[in-house]
Amino acid sequence: MSEYSQEDRQAICASFARLLEENANEPKLRELIETRSGFDRELWQKMADMGLTGITIAPEHSGAGGSLEEVEALLEIAGGFLLCGPFIESCVIAPALLLACEDQEFAGQHLQAIAAGSSIFAVAGCGSSGDWDELPDVVAEQQDGHWCLSGSAHFVAYANVADHCLVAANVQGEIGVFLVAMEDPAITATLHKSSDPTQRLSTLSFDSVRATRLAGVDEQAWSGALVNGLVALAGEQVGGAQRIFTITIEYLKIRHQFGQAIGSFQSLKHMAADLLVELESATSVARHAARAIAAGNEDAATMSYLAAFTCADNYRRIAADAIQLHGGIAYTVEHPAHLYWRRAQSGQWAYCSSDRLRDLYLAEMEKNHE
Amino acid sequence: MSDNVKIAVEEWLDSHWDSENRRELGSQAYDERSWLTKVVDAGYAAPSWSREWFGLGLNGRDVRDIEKAFQKRHAPGWGRDRFHLGAITIYKLGSDELKGELLHKLLCGPICCLLYSEPGAGSDMAGIRTRAVKDGEDFVVNGQKVWTSNAKEAEYGMLLTRTDIDVPKHEGITFFIFPMKQEGVEVRPINQITGESEFNEVFITDARVPERYIIGEYNEGWKSFQVAIASERLIMGMGVTARSSGLTSDKSPALLRLARKHGRLGEASLRQEIAQALAYRQLNTLNMQRAVEDIKQNGMSSLMSLGKLSMSRIQHGEARISAKILGPQVLLEDEEDARNANFDAAKAYMNSIGGGTDQIQRNIIAERILGLPKSADVDRTIPFKDVKTS
Repeated sequence: MSEYSQEDRQAICASFARLLEENANEPKLRELIETRSGFDRELWQKMADMGLTGITIAPEHSGAGGSLEEVEALLEIAGGFLLCGPFIESCVIAPALLLACEDQEFAGQHLQAIAAGSSIFAVAGCGSSGDWDELPDVVAEQQDGHWCLSGSAHFVAYANVADHCLVAANVQGEIGVFLVAMEDPAITATLHKSSDPTQRLSTLSFDSVRATRLAGVDEQAWSGALVNGLVALAGEQVGGAQRIFTITIEYLKIRHQFGQAIGSFQSLKHMAADLLVELESATSVARHAARAIAAGNEDAATMSYLAAFTCADNYRRIAADAIQLHGGIAYTVEHPAHLYWRRAQSGQWAYCSSDRLRDLYLAEMEKNHE
Repeated sequence: MSDNVKIAVEEWLDSHWDSENRRELGSQAYDERSWLTKVVDAGYAAPSWSREWFGLGLNGRDVRDIEKAFQKRHAPGWGRDRFHLGAITIYKLGSDELKGELLHKLLCGPICCLLYSEPGAGSDMAGIRTRAVKDGEDFVVNGQKVWTSNAKEAEYGMLLTRTDIDVPKHEGITFFIFPMKQEGVEVRPINQITGESEFNEVFITDARVPERYIIGEYNEGWKSFQVAIASERLIMGMGVTARSSGLTSDKSPALLRLARKHGRLGEASLRQEIAQALAYRQLNTLNMQRAVEDIKQNGMSSLMSLGKLSMSRIQHGEARISAKILGPQVLLEDEEDARNANFDAAKAYMNSIGGGTDQIQRNIIAERILGLPKSADVDRTIPFKDVKTS
């Protein structure tokens, strides 16, 4: 259950929104996406100073002790600004994995560094299939009493700015999670040009990289962390969908053709009404799933998969229709609609494809109704 | 305060109602009119109304306590201030004279039927053509109404009529409470594509209604009608929330059972469709739960008006996927599964057409929730007699 009151949550969200209005507004975003790193470390430090990078980390490790409810609410804000950076990887997934580690002294140091903003984590969770619930292509083997990683990890978000990376690896047919330092010369990182300019994706090649295993972090802990990441991403997608939907509805009211606002035409009204159903459904399920995780409900995984594919698909549909509803103006790069659309496209494949998640959801429903 | 109400209603029920046999204490069989009269006279049929008009002047928790006490004992007659549309409308808009004459009678009798839609006025309700012409102290009514439930049982109907054709369509309408049991009122059941007959046509020929039965003002019936349909939408909304409780805990979803029974759950593309259909159902439930929270906090929720569109997608989708699971066997109605799938496919239109089509609902959502400008209504300002008809 979340320790935060509704007022506390609203207050922290309001400060975060003010921070982003000042530091991550559209002109700043457009400057940032032209840079190679695509990341604003100064802003990250400000977020850390506000307690945001440690939002899921316990107070004993200098974190803010929040639950998935706070994470979801904050990411709705972030999504509206198309915030760039590994917030979900470094501040949601990595802390969940570190928390599951049996060696809490080792994990504690890293959690503290994440909360302080001094250390940024990437998470390498998949092979070229892109699905985080499959066995990764990276293989871990013990050599002279040390763990060594070999193989490649794909679609690693913001590996280019991370200090550390948690790598999911195949340990004799099971998933194990390993910590590596990104400065290790045995890691080759290839930064790609991403179809989504607000995202940075790399492929990492491991050539016998010495790694520390997160003791006790097994398949169950891995999928638990993944579920947290999925719901965090769902929140971000809701925020993005809300923003581009609002921009679109405002435009339908001010753009005139044939002597009337184009929003008075039924063909556009009906599209807008249908999109509102998609938007509200995404909002309801993202918030519900976050509450289910925070409360430790039995159906938390079911609801998380439902939230994940719903928010990914509905964001994509809303952003895609937003371009169509605007008409020509949104076919220009100066208009922000395509940025939301590209972000929504990349979200279709983050962690797991929507189709894969739909199948996982059905499998959970089958289990619940045997 | 609250405890007194609760204790009083429980004592009253225990001394008047036989929960075990579901009838009045000391009676041999359940007599609806006799029981309803007792409930109305005790103030429990419409506790939110004023004491002057059969109520107790209560609200919030007290009203819920009364309803709960009745429900617990399976005693009918509660919530007439929420569900008896005729009585609610008369209570809100009727003159004291009309309330004095009809309110008690309505509360103690069957619900009123709704004489709104016509063959030529469905989505565009202000286009009604049933005429009411003044004749002495009465109006004489001629016309045809359609999609009327309970028309056979109802003693009264809420009737929308045209009383002036020389003014624009919204301005020449008068709303009546109309006696159904008279010559000149003929009820014919409608045979639906589902095989059912839930609705009727009502043919009205030289029937009479007293002038004092006008609800609201003469020629201002459109305003009164808005009050009546607002109460109706509230009831429909409540229906949605009442039905949608429990998420993963509810009984096994029908599509899952059907696919399992017919050995189709292993097929990847069908799994995608089934999963999406189950998702739509759960998402609608979550939206309605959020609406209930909103209503608790802010007294209203715009989410309520999305339920109808969601439900249409759910029902049409599930019917289509059921047929897909059955394959060509769906063509042979000897089997129950095929009969159900075909019935559901037809029944889905009840949701997407009934109570205003989904297309009208999209207009309403776009205009009232999103604030988009109203579509041009070309006949809004011209005299009704000049309006084009099909």
